[in-house]
Amino acid sequence: MRSHKVEQLVIATVGFFWCFLMWFSTAAFSPSIAADYHLGIKDLGLLASSAIWMAPVGRIVAGWASDRFGAPRTFAAILAGCGLVSIASAYTTSYELLFAERVIVAIAGVSFVVGIQHVAQWFDSHEIGTAEGLYAGTGNVGAGVGALLLPRMFGTNYHDAFLWLGVIALVIAAWYLIRGRAAKTNERRIAARRGSDMRGAVFVWTRYIAIALMLAYAMSFGLEIAMNAWLPGYFTRGFHDDLLALGFSSVAGLQIAAGTFAAVESFNASLFRPFAGFMSDLFQHKGWTPLPFIAKELPYAPRLHWLGIALILITLSMIGLTVAGLSGSLPWSIAVLVVFGIFLSFGTGGTFALVPLLFPDRPGIAAGFIGGISTAGGIVYPLIFAGSANIHMGYLYVALYMFVPIVLFYFWAARHERHPEEHGLFDRGLVGQQA
Amino acid sequence: MKPAETRVAHEPWYKYGVAFLMLEMAIAVAVSAYSLYMTFNGLGGFPGKH
Repeated sequence: MRSHKVEQLVIATVGFFWCFLMWFSTAAFSPSIAADYHLGIKDLGLLASSAIWMAPVGRIVAGWASDRFGAPRTFAAILAGCGLVSIASAYTTSYELLFAERVIVAIAGVSFVVGIQHVAQWFDSHEIGTAEGLYAGTGNVGAGVGALLLPRMFGTNYHDAFLWLGVIALVIAAWYLIRGRAAKTNERRIAARRGSDMRGAVFVWTRYIAIALMLAYAMSFGLEIAMNAWLPGYFTRGFHDDLLALGFSSVAGLQIAAGTFAAVESFNASLFRPFAGFMSDLFQHKGWTPLPFIAKELPYAPRLHWLGIALILITLSMIGLTVAGLSGSLPWSIAVLVVFGIFLSFGTGGTFALVPLLFPDRPGIAAGFIGGISTAGGIVYPLIFAGSANIHMGYLYVALYMFVPIVLFYFWAARHERHPEEHGLFDRGLVGQQA
Repeated sequence: MKPAETRVAHEPWYKYGVAFLMLEMAIAVAVSAYSLYMTFNGLGGFPGKH
């Protein structure tokens, strides 16, 4: 059975969209679950944080599995497994069991790296930025759509929501298995399978450029998921009087206003991501290499420069958030936040326009490492923000003490004009690779 | 000096992909503008009504 790469892109995107919908469906119904089981604020916090517990390690395993077994089998297994547990959770009456089941359903979030591997196996290097951007950006919207539509469609009846999410996941799993093809050519498929041993994984994990991209993704996607959790509380506390002046006096009203600002940032970060991939392709097409120090002669050098620009813009916009917050101007803070969301998308889209090109024989392992470890940022940043004496200063501290060193490390790791993947913590021979 | 891989002609699907991503950007801008207008006028916001 023949297939076209656009069909494979559509299958991967629909699968990822649905996985993201399942991933965040627990959060969408947390008030109803809390009311049913009389949960306190600590239980709610635990339930909310459980969504990303499985991501760091799970994505590493999923990336390896997609190289080893092919993306269609791996993606279908994730969809079917999470779908079945989601159906089971619809009939659960014990909170402890429900909690455990929803942690398992949250494994759906690891599917991101499987789709990245799938798209990388089908699209050529000159169009990879747009293809990966369309996949990841459109799929990411599943989280926002879940928050927006699920409570409106199902009200407080999360049992029905979990049931239907699971049933449709099973249908998409069957579609993925029937129509999905692991790679455009047998040569690509064989190369990915051959590179999927433990030594290949250690080789990727120890490359400076892979570590730099992982940190770049922690600066963008890790920060994006951190801000999703942090921003509603930030606006409620940091701009309490301004929100009262706008007429949002009740607790529910404050939540809606603060939630709106957070959602706008998240929406822009997701929906501008395909544009960021397109910009990476455009840099490549035009041969633009404006930054100093970063390599200019590598086949994908312009993409390295585009990501470097994105990282600088993210750092500057974080400083802008502090300046706007200290000025006490809510409109200015929102304006900076909108721009900040767009810059985040430049980082996420720019990173995964590079990953498949740097490690063409191990796209899944590389995507798993870079897309997995970086999600820990979602846990780290809010702790720093919350630990600052002034609520507006946390952005500046993170920018100066974390992002500036990361950007410098990225410039250093991306400076090699030939084979940056050759440079790492160990010599190639030590990790079983031919010199 | 130009990188080796530049100036590759795009396949027909690419222009539809670019059109779709432009549509996504337009949706992001429209939803942001509408939500912020609602919020700054005390009428409600993105996740629900006031």
